[in-house]
Amino acid sequence: MIRGTIIGSVWATRQAAGLAGRKLVLVAARDAEGRASGRVVVAIDTLDAGAGDDVTVAFGSGARNVLAPGPDNRALLCDAAVAAIVEGAG
Amino acid sequence: MILGRVVGHVWATRQDPRLGGAKLLVVRPHGVYEPALATGHLVAVDHVDAGVGDDVVVALGRPARLAADGQASAAGQPVDDNRPVDAAILGVVDRVELDAAASARPGAAPGIRRPLPALGGRA
Repeated sequence: MIRGTIIGSVWATRQAAGLAGRKLVLVAARDAEGRASGRVVVAIDTLDAGAGDDVTVAFGSGARNVLAPGPDNRALLCDAAVAAIVEGAG
Repeated sequence: MILGRVVGHVWATRQDPRLGGAKLLVVRPHGVYEPALATGHLVAVDHVDAGVGDDVVVALGRPARLAADGQASAAGQPVDDNRPVDAAILGVVDRVELDAAASARPGAAPGIRRPLPALGGRA
């Protein structure tokens, strides 16, 4: 996973069937020191995160497990998902 | 997934049969993105009829291989995971809305504000 900050949202009407109903957010990834790294990813958000929220984003099978845990999620069209909304970090 | 803009087409008559003649588009990622090869672009298969100039959402890895099966994937049915594909366009972007405060932090989104006026977003 990575840490990042939600900076916005993305809407796409013409999209793959498997994306229907998914909320897409833009996440500015942080670097190891917690500063903005300049890298931006698009992640599926199921936690109702909002702009400015500090989040962790999971990739790969970890991202699919956010949407639907278990072995039956391999057909999900998801490679990045918000896994947690961070309240504090040391 | 990443956000990018379609900047070109690729044609290939002789191709792996598992590509199934899929349309191949050249995508330039918005913001800073580091693909496996630092070329500043990637070639993605397109199943949503995107075109040059469109802003798109691109999935990488396994979801990209599944995108060709559209409805079957959405219904959780078995899909072909053996395609020689690692990037696929999953959506044509209508609108990007940037939070002014969050995106204004130093280094938060270099380059990503530039395309937004054409998308009707709030930079």
